[in-house]
Amino acid sequence: MVALPQKVNRANLLRSRWGSEVEQTGEYSVAADRSAVWTGLNDPEVLARCIEGCQSVSKVSDDVFEASVKAKVGPVRATFSAAIALTDIDPPSSYLINVAVKGGPAGFAKGSAEVILEEADGYTVLRYRVAANVGGKLAQIGSRLVDSAARKMADSFFAAFEREFEGQDRRADGASGNSR
Amino acid sequence: MAKEQGIGAAVKRKEDLRFITGSGRYTDDLNQPGQLYAAFLRSPYARADILDIRSEEAEALEGVVAVLTGVQMAEDGLGDLPCGWQVKQKDGSDMVSAPHPPLAVQAVNYVGEPYGIVVADSIATALQAAELVTTEFRELDPIVDLVLATDSERIHADVARNLAYDWELGDAEATDAAMQRAAHVTRIEITNNRLIPNAMEPRAALGIYEAATEEHTLYTTSQNPHLERLVLSAFVQIAPEHKLRVIAPDVGGGFGSKIFIYAEETAVLWAARRVGRPVKWTASRSEAFLADAHGRDHLTTVELGLDAQNNFVALRVSTRANLGAYLSTFGSSVPTYLYGTLMAGQYRTPNIHVEVSGVYTNTSPVDAYRGAGRPEATYVVERVVETAARELGVDPADLRRKNMIPPDAFPYETPVALVYDTGNYEASLDKALALADYVAIAERKAEAAGRGKRRGIGLACYIEACGLAPSKLAIALGAGVGLYESGEIRVNPTGNVTVFTGSHSHGQGHETTFAQVVADRLGVEFDAVEVVHGDTGRVEFGLGTYGSRSIAVGGSALCRAADKIIAKGSRIAAHMLEAELEDIDFADGQFQVRDSNRSLSLGEVAFASYVPADYPEDLEPGLSEKAFYDPENFTYPAGTHIAEVEVDVDTGVVELVSFIAVDDFGHVINPMIVEGQVHGGVVQGVGQALLEHGIYDDQGQLQTGSYMDYCMPRADDVPDLVVDATVTPCPHNPLGVKGCGEAGAIGAPAAVINAVVDALGTNDISMPATPEKVWRALQG
Amino acid sequence: MQVEVTVNGQAHVLEVADNTLLVELLRENLGLTGTHVGCDTSQCGACTVHMDGRSVKACTVLAAQAQGAEVVTIEGIGSADALHPMQEAFRDCHALQCGFCTPGMIMSAIDLVSRNPGIDNAGVRAGLEGNICRCTGYHNIVRAVIQAAQNM
Ligand code: FES
Ligand code: FES
Repeated sequence: MVALPQKVNRANLLRSRWGSEVEQTGEYSVAADRSAVWTGLNDPEVLARCIEGCQSVSKVSDDVFEASVKAKVGPVRATFSAAIALTDIDPPSSYLINVAVKGGPAGFAKGSAEVILEEADGYTVLRYRVAANVGGKLAQIGSRLVDSAARKMADSFFAAFEREFEGQDRRADGASGNSR
Repeated sequence: MAKEQGIGAAVKRKEDLRFITGSGRYTDDLNQPGQLYAAFLRSPYARADILDIRSEEAEALEGVVAVLTGVQMAEDGLGDLPCGWQVKQKDGSDMVSAPHPPLAVQAVNYVGEPYGIVVADSIATALQAAELVTTEFRELDPIVDLVLATDSERIHADVARNLAYDWELGDAEATDAAMQRAAHVTRIEITNNRLIPNAMEPRAALGIYEAATEEHTLYTTSQNPHLERLVLSAFVQIAPEHKLRVIAPDVGGGFGSKIFIYAEETAVLWAARRVGRPVKWTASRSEAFLADAHGRDHLTTVELGLDAQNNFVALRVSTRANLGAYLSTFGSSVPTYLYGTLMAGQYRTPNIHVEVSGVYTNTSPVDAYRGAGRPEATYVVERVVETAARELGVDPADLRRKNMIPPDAFPYETPVALVYDTGNYEASLDKALALADYVAIAERKAEAAGRGKRRGIGLACYIEACGLAPSKLAIALGAGVGLYESGEIRVNPTGNVTVFTGSHSHGQGHETTFAQVVADRLGVEFDAVEVVHGDTGRVEFGLGTYGSRSIAVGGSALCRAADKIIAKGSRIAAHMLEAELEDIDFADGQFQVRDSNRSLSLGEVAFASYVPADYPEDLEPGLSEKAFYDPENFTYPAGTHIAEVEVDVDTGVVELVSFIAVDDFGHVINPMIVEGQVHGGVVQGVGQALLEHGIYDDQGQLQTGSYMDYCMPRADDVPDLVVDATVTPCPHNPLGVKGCGEAGAIGAPAAVINAVVDALGTNDISMPATPEKVWRALQG
Repeated sequence: MQVEVTVNGQAHVLEVADNTLLVELLRENLGLTGTHVGCDTSQCGACTVHMDGRSVKACTVLAAQAQGAEVVTIEGIGSADALHPMQEAFRDCHALQCGFCTPGMIMSAIDLVSRNPGIDNAGVRAGLEGNICRCTGYHNIVRAVIQAAQNM
């Protein structure tokens, strides 16, 4: 007798936490000095290059950006438009990114990320803490996947962001993106 | 006449051949020339004001024909979706019904609420265009928690405390007094979990408009096309009734969820008229999760008072029922008249009082789902009785038996407004206990313990009021329509028979059972009878299929129509046979002159009626009769369900090892079909008890919105089921039938949870009893 | 793009969009509406058909993936006067009510039984776990599959 199909996902029966909020922290090291990292993080062109699926980033004012990103969270695929406002700005060491993301029928996300840059020996350590809520289809179907999707996006962003500084001869040994 | 295909025979179903060969015709299988496709704009927020909808970009997309919103619908003069049952509050005032425009205009109140419709030449284009519409919302804090809702901001401007009604039934004073005198009071708090119906065919609609004749045709997934036409005409005012035809073709299950008149089919028909081309919409499952009416969702406190001899003396019930963001078509009646009236259960409890607050929240509307109020009532009664038995240290079966209404007490008037017509509750209890080998449960428990499992057994002795309903009574209680049913029988000139019923079949097998009834009554071959249903253009009128009413009300209407056929046929036969009318007997399809060999078949009489050469002067030609049957009481199916479970101590997984259902449905037309109805109902009830849960987070986002998170019972979640019957015929309808569609879903949740509680030795576990909850309970 | 596919023994060359699913090709392009769609997360099995002799969920297969394949749908396994033993058994055992899950259920069951001749109750229950039926409670479906297994 051949093997019978695997039991389909019954994760819901084991899932004890329900909710559409996402909380995440991460830490990356970037091989560049702090002011260069800060400048990069405020440069729409750099951001557009580093955000996976990014269609456009435009600076509305010094601390307000708009972006359009194609993203996929589990079975939910859409072009999301993001309104980004920076507050509590303390260059070049920290700010708060407030984001409202809308994807029409795909749903929405809103939240904020606290970003802190610390100077280390020849590189910069970036720490962030994100608290966000998702809604609509993202919550309905994607909520179990939002966490890992967000993590993936952050990883790919910083990998690309780091590449921005490659060849600028500021690379320190052993510095590389990682998250925890 | 082929008796082997008459009443009581397990006849194979007429409808099966088309379904097993893939030739069923469901709404989404139908297409029209020039047809367009619709996608809906739905709110991603649980509560928000709509500030601005920008659709220019969507409209510019190639293939997009129109983007229409609630504003335009209101401008076109379409009315609100009404709630069809007016509940009176404790103080005598009317319930507070919030306005419910089919497409939201100013505000959205649950995730998934539609506020616009996009019409395009393909589904893909319609969906793509929906993405291009940008809507500006002002988000508001959603009111999601059923307890906090009455102390929160108003969802609807005119609804204070978010309370649709505060309703009661029974004598509060007498109940309080009896409770005071009780020797023992058992008090529990229980939750009836929100369920999402999930008929396997998602809802769909195809709207067609003929400008030249102003005729509107709507194909849709409905359990009651005539009711749909009535509401769309009289309330929504989309088209007058004589210009509107509603057709429910093959429908892939309903379980209540396809009774209601929804926004989408309304919008599709309206859009078809606006754009002048047919428009089709088929829900994705994701849409179905959000936009089909949900079921249950109660919080209840119940107290049962017993005297020193363990007689029930008082029952006091206080329930908060979640109605969702709007009152759905029958949403108000489910937690009141279909719930409070059943609190006597099978017992002699002399004093009962029940109060229910119907509460608005920013969640999908809640309405009837298989059982509708009666599973909730049974759960309340059977959980508290079980708990009382545990507290008192008496056998749960004995305590039930002691308090049952005895067979000689019928008709029995309960303290909560019903008159039970007939029954023999002990008979089904005894039969179920015997089938379950109840006396040997201790041995089975010990054996299971040896395997590291905890075994438990649970009973539910349920009763339901179905066969909805005596119109006068229902209207007095607030129903907006009568609840009779129509039936028409046409004996065609060549002797075969076409039957028209206002009751719709979407899995129940009417095409078979109704044909059995008519074949039996008229003595014609089963194969010579064709049943037509589901089309307002072919069937005169009907109230549809819900509340296990089809055979009891619709079947009875056909019996009446058959009687009329026989009466007219007898007059024709008397004339043709030159006999006195009193001397004509009808049996087995033959009109016979008594004590003679002179006879005519129904076919011969029918032919004569259409070719009236030798024909009574005073009789119209033709042999076609119709009847409207209005029942004089509800019917009261009842029975005992027994579940046996094993709990894995390490993982908390509950395995249902056996399920026995002994039901009294009165006479049965087709036992094969009836058993199938019980199987399906039981597994839905098991799903409620162990697997299914519609969960919203505090932002009003549905967390269990797909089959990844909403756990449907699958084949390997349930064992083979044992189904048996006892019979006390219904005394007040011509077939002696009671209705069987909901019994399984009514008895099973309480039986299964009582079994789990027995296995765990705890007093309660909330539904669904997931491994996590059970495991925690095991840790103490 | 163009897809060449044989459906129920008949060869077709069809022009479809890149993202067309097999189930759309069957229902929309070929009018074979016996194959149903019950979900959008590949979990209900209503869309089950056979592709090169194995059951697949046609909502998870791109039309492009069916290039060159032999597809059999519920319309292709038997006819009203020559039913497949599985169809026969479903009718015999009252294994369907609304009929919506039925085509997918039958297609899954045929594949299951042909790979596991002598299959028992537990095997059928485990094997049909990818097909949801909301009407029948599965009891009669399991009976039907076991009965058909004896006649196939
Ligand atoms: S449609 Fe549900 S699995 Fe394919
Ligand atoms: S028969 Fe209706 S879903 Fe299976």
